[in-house]
Amino acid sequence: MVEIKTVDLTKRFGNVVALNRVNLHIRQGEFFTLLGPSGCGKTTFLRSIAGFELVDEGRIYFDDEDVTYIPPHKRDTGMVFQNYALWPHMTVYENIAYGLKVRKYPKNEIDKKVRWALKLVHLEGFERRRPHQLSGGQQQRVALARALVIHPRVLLLDEPLSNLDAKLRVEMRGEIRRLQKELGITTLYVTHDQEEALAISDRIAVMNQGEVMQVGRPDEIYLRPSNEFVADFIGRGTFLEGVVLESNGEIRVELENGLGVVVGVPSRGDTVFRPGDRVLVAIRPESFTFRGSDEFNSFTVKVEQISFIGSVKRVEAYAEGRMFIVDIPIEENVAVGDTIKIYVPRSKTIVIKLSR
Amino acid sequence: MIGLGIRTETFSEDPILFLHRVLREVRWRFDILNWFQLSIILILFSLFLLIPILSIIVNAFLYGGSFSLKWFETILSDPLYMPWGSLDLTLYEWIEVRRPDGSVELILYIDGFNLGVIPNSFLIALTTMTLSSIIGFTLAYLFARHRFPLSEPLRILMLTPLLSTPFVGAIGIKKMISPEGFINTVFTEIIPILPFKIEITGLAAVVMVQTLLFYPIVFLNVYTALLNIDPSQEEQAENLGASGFQLFRTITLPLAMPGLEAGALLVFILSIEDLGTPLVFRGTNADYLMTVQIFRKIFAPTGEISGEATALAFILLMISLGVFFAIRKYISLRRYAMLSKGGVWRRRLNEVDPLYLPGIYLALATFLFISLLPHIGVTLMAFAGEWPVGSILPSYFTMRNFNTLFLDPDVSRNIFNSVTYAVTATIIITLVGVSSAYLVSRIRVPGIDLLDALVTMPIAVPGIIVASGYFLTFLDTPLNPIQTGAPLLIAAYAIRKFPFGVRTFFAGLEQVDKALEEAAVNVGASRTKVFFTITIPLILMNILAGSMLAFIYSMSEVSTSIVIGDANHPDAPMTWKMYDIMFKGSGGTFQAAAMGFILMTLQFLMIVGSNVVLRRRATALISI
Repeated sequence: MVEIKTVDLTKRFGNVVALNRVNLHIRQGEFFTLLGPSGCGKTTFLRSIAGFELVDEGRIYFDDEDVTYIPPHKRDTGMVFQNYALWPHMTVYENIAYGLKVRKYPKNEIDKKVRWALKLVHLEGFERRRPHQLSGGQQQRVALARALVIHPRVLLLDEPLSNLDAKLRVEMRGEIRRLQKELGITTLYVTHDQEEALAISDRIAVMNQGEVMQVGRPDEIYLRPSNEFVADFIGRGTFLEGVVLESNGEIRVELENGLGVVVGVPSRGDTVFRPGDRVLVAIRPESFTFRGSDEFNSFTVKVEQISFIGSVKRVEAYAEGRMFIVDIPIEENVAVGDTIKIYVPRSKTIVIKLSR
Repeated sequence: MIGLGIRTETFSEDPILFLHRVLREVRWRFDILNWFQLSIILILFSLFLLIPILSIIVNAFLYGGSFSLKWFETILSDPLYMPWGSLDLTLYEWIEVRRPDGSVELILYIDGFNLGVIPNSFLIALTTMTLSSIIGFTLAYLFARHRFPLSEPLRILMLTPLLSTPFVGAIGIKKMISPEGFINTVFTEIIPILPFKIEITGLAAVVMVQTLLFYPIVFLNVYTALLNIDPSQEEQAENLGASGFQLFRTITLPLAMPGLEAGALLVFILSIEDLGTPLVFRGTNADYLMTVQIFRKIFAPTGEISGEATALAFILLMISLGVFFAIRKYISLRRYAMLSKGGVWRRRLNEVDPLYLPGIYLALATFLFISLLPHIGVTLMAFAGEWPVGSILPSYFTMRNFNTLFLDPDVSRNIFNSVTYAVTATIIITLVGVSSAYLVSRIRVPGIDLLDALVTMPIAVPGIIVASGYFLTFLDTPLNPIQTGAPLLIAAYAIRKFPFGVRTFFAGLEQVDKALEEAAVNVGASRTKVFFTITIPLILMNILAGSMLAFIYSMSEVSTSIVIGDANHPDAPMTWKMYDIMFKGSGGTFQAAAMGFILMTLQFLMIVGSNVVLRRRATALISI
């Protein structure tokens, strides 16, 4: 069990900057997720930690050990690949035992450890099978067992669930989480699926264009997106542009298009807002309420579309040409074409400073 | 709303920094095994390909000990080489032959026109390429897109010419198309369709023989390209309203184009460097080809090569290497047939209307018969007792040719030599070739493509040039070809047939997901360990296929075999012996055919063996 620290990690592929001065600190025993769209650099980061990519600049530390130039086979990481990468010419048992054989463990030790790993992933009795005789979920478990059996310092998972169907995906993600907690192993997880990231992680780093946009607990990321990219990438929401009027703990914003004035909270504590700053106001669909008493933070909108998404009705509504996405309880009686008044609490009105 | 995507920056890096970065990357990517592999490849190819080529280039520009363009001036002003003299532009002529009974017989004599050695070589290659492309593409389209009874066995039969070499095949076909041969006799006497006999010889015969032997290369490449087209791309075009010839012209043909181009240009190279076929037709205008001219200017017993020959070799080399690098650049630019993936592929197969079937069978059977003529001819001749003039078949069959053949104690020795050299060369190709394919496919450091170019380049280096280069390079060394033939023949086979092996190994590696190897590295195996425990077992089938291919092609190698074999007869291989028997009076054509038959049989056994091992995976084995 180690902590991982990267300092100014930079990697280019030709003219493409895959990692741009990435500084991350992954704590001991933490389940840490890299989340971002494809091409954002998250897989490159994971492969740099594993040692499959040689970074152009920067350092990687496992605890105090500098592993930047340690070759991949000496890094002691356990990786689960997106397509599992099980060796078709070996049985399940041989696949799992490979890393132990390479480490020259005695035969009975290997046997003991393989059985432990098989038990861990609930695959006892599958020793003699070949990978192609297993289902997707079972292959996934073998890949996990193969990575865990060597007791790696770090567990690396590269979109491990993307090849499974929706139901199995949810099941396996619980399983991975359980194993991780049980073994207490420092884990780096890569995914582009924000729901998966929010559900499984201790902390998340949102990446875009080779840079880390925000690091935080899932609830922080969701409720307090620190910039427009994160706000847009995580979950859905209503985004309104405006100009700061006043800032003293709470921020008063004059919205564009004559939508009025809202009062909200800053997305991050360290940002200084000054009157005249251009900002983005982000509101999650479930933050809206039907009733309120605030003199600000209310909108009159016209319902244009209603979709039933299970626990709530999701309404797409418009005011002054701006789109609002609002979740309303199922029992509320709203129809397309209605004009409704909605409110949003000040604490759920997130003000993000625009970089431009 | 907010732009996603990849940040690109153009920055001009300091060249020294860049070099530093590349070196660091190389040091990081390579382990001891890789350095070892790379050194072996570089040593082998420098010693037996680059230095010999260099020695030809140096000699071509040397006159009286200093740099000079004299040899090129000589060649380019000589009407033998260039079309400066009075040109023979008669493609065919009528010849009257007086028969013993006094009657006069008319023969249509076709030998092509002679424009001088250099234009001849170029035109012959161009014509062969065009004809092979037309035939190969037609067959590929028929078999890739249509299903009819027996289509599968017929498709495999269409590939049989690959079994043969121009040399062996030409011996057979020469007999079959001679004025008194099978074809003429059948069509003027038995089924008198032709009012006169046709004699095809000289350059025209070279084109004919080469086309029949090389069309399968285009066939295979186009067939593979057609199978690799994602059917949904054609379905999309149909969905938008295209059909029939429009669909073919706008979608199918462009997508199959890279395959056609690769196959066609490969045929061009093989044709221009072919020495065996024109040698079989020697004494005609087939002598006016570059390979033959270079061959004649090497005096094997002493290893002397005239400056004129090296200059001519230089010109030939530039043409074939030029075409080779053009293919590499062009094809790699157009690898879009593989663009789409995912989804379920259902091959587009049309059932053939039974009404057309008799026509298709007749056409295929005729064509198959023509393309099997070389093999049929060689086989008949090998077992012929007597073959009277004007008779379709020999008057009786016998084993006598084989018996006579083996009376010569050298024959079994030559066969033994061939097998030994081919086996040794195959081992070298397999060991070094797998290493080189691995480096190119897996260790993606900048500049690794140069290595790929180097190891596939021999396909474009004519054998006669390799042989000349060996004489120039090794004459006064321990590898002197006059003292001992074996080392240089093994080297020549290993280098010349290397591309066939390495491409097959490479194709196998490309099909193996790199993550399989990374997973092994990740759990602690060194790259060397991974290479032997994961990589090799996963591409074992391709290794076997590539080795068999290398063996088959080594056995039938002609150009270096006859040049180096001529310098040291006891060490010569069987292809040299066939040449010797045919032209040096140490036997007759029938004995040469018997020897050809033995060669064919050996190759056939290997092909059957490889097909058993590989089943149907042998489709794309021949491409660049």
